[in-house]
Amino acid sequence: MRVFAGLLLLAGVALLIRSTALSELAARGVIVDVLAFVTVVWALRWGESQGSTFGFVLGLAADLDAAHWLGRHALALALVGYGVGRLSGALVRGNPATQFMLLFAATLAHQAWALVFELGGVAGWRFLLGHVVVSGLVTAPLGVLVLALVSLGSGRSLFSRAAIETTSRT
Amino acid sequence: MGGFLPPAERRSGVLLGLYATIALLLMLTGDRIPQSGLRGAGAWLFAPFDRLVLVVDRVGAAWRENERLHERITRLELEVTRLHQAGVENLRLRDSLGLPAYRTLTLRRAEVLALAGEPVPTSATLSAGALQGVKVGDAVVSNDGLVGRVGEVYAGLARVILLSDPNSAVACEVESTGVQGVLRFFTSPRPQLLLTGVPMADTVRVGQVVLTSGLSLRYPRGLPVGRVERLARDLNGLTREIEVAPAARRSRLRHVYVVPGPVLPGAPGAEVVR
Repeated sequence: MRVFAGLLLLAGVALLIRSTALSELAARGVIVDVLAFVTVVWALRWGESQGSTFGFVLGLAADLDAAHWLGRHALALALVGYGVGRLSGALVRGNPATQFMLLFAATLAHQAWALVFELGGVAGWRFLLGHVVVSGLVTAPLGVLVLALVSLGSGRSLFSRAAIETTSRT
Repeated sequence: MGGFLPPAERRSGVLLGLYATIALLLMLTGDRIPQSGLRGAGAWLFAPFDRLVLVVDRVGAAWRENERLHERITRLELEVTRLHQAGVENLRLRDSLGLPAYRTLTLRRAEVLALAGEPVPTSATLSAGALQGVKVGDAVVSNDGLVGRVGEVYAGLARVILLSDPNSAVACEVESTGVQGVLRFFTSPRPQLLLTGVPMADTVRVGQVVLTSGLSLRYPRGLPVGRVERLARDLNGLTREIEVAPAARRSRLRHVYVVPGPVLPGAPGAEVVR
């Protein structure tokens, strides 16, 4: 029940930040992919089932907020959540370099997929590539910084006592 | 009981398969599903939180904005006096030429609660809705110029289709020359507002102001839309490709005004406008 409430709370906060503070940055061309960030964090913390569920729910809510293409964010984020959740058992999750790489890859995948729909194809691939790479380069370090600050504030790592599926399976 | 459940890997794989199938089905059939009710509920749910976040964000900005506005009010009051005199003269001249008078615009103030769409916002949620008299099709303007038109209306909220929505089209004209065209937003090869359908023979210069034209049924004539930024020849070589820099800056959308649309021919009250 606590996990479910946490899922809804985190999804709500992410959508709220995306549609207010981050939308002004996005209008200036700097996309901080908060959806990919929270999906990666949730999947790292709780594993692939929870990761894909969280990604799907969050993506569906983001799709409803957009005007067209219902299901595109849901599909991409569910896959990101599943992928990161699968990897989480084999990675040192508290390592900033690992977090950076995961956030960068997840942002790249999510933004590339979402922008292809927004731009109506890959004809403007230079613009798409530029935006996707900039988005990854902004989101990844910012995400690592946020995770470090949260760890510092709470006094323990977010992932130190994670009861993820991979450990519970053994 | 636990023995009946499949292993964790298989369960998560099945779950992912289910999500992917639902997402793909939604992508294929989503446009046929009525989403306006769901979006309305979402907008209603998030509106108080949106307001809360915006209050924190805007307190600092409001102080600086207040100083600027005081100065601007003084300048505008002087200009209003000058324009009032010109307006009286214009009315007299139009009357003597037998031309109908311009429609007076009434403005309803509203706040932008949220923007949706990346990388370019395509819609915005307003803090005014049906209860405040907002109707589908009403034009939305900011201090700088045209922002878009109302696409969906809920009780206390409304959703605006911005000029940057590829499905939006606005009949426009170039100020001073009166060259007509249709303003559309294109996402490929890069996001840009283009004034389309302008013949090569028409004279248009960079920097000229683009306004809504009298040919539009939705928008009142003379609303500033933007400035001509770049001129080129379109792919078929028959018409001009005119890139327009929007007057209303999307990154600074905070307060907007809803302009009630004209009563369309055939609708109740049409004869009043005529």
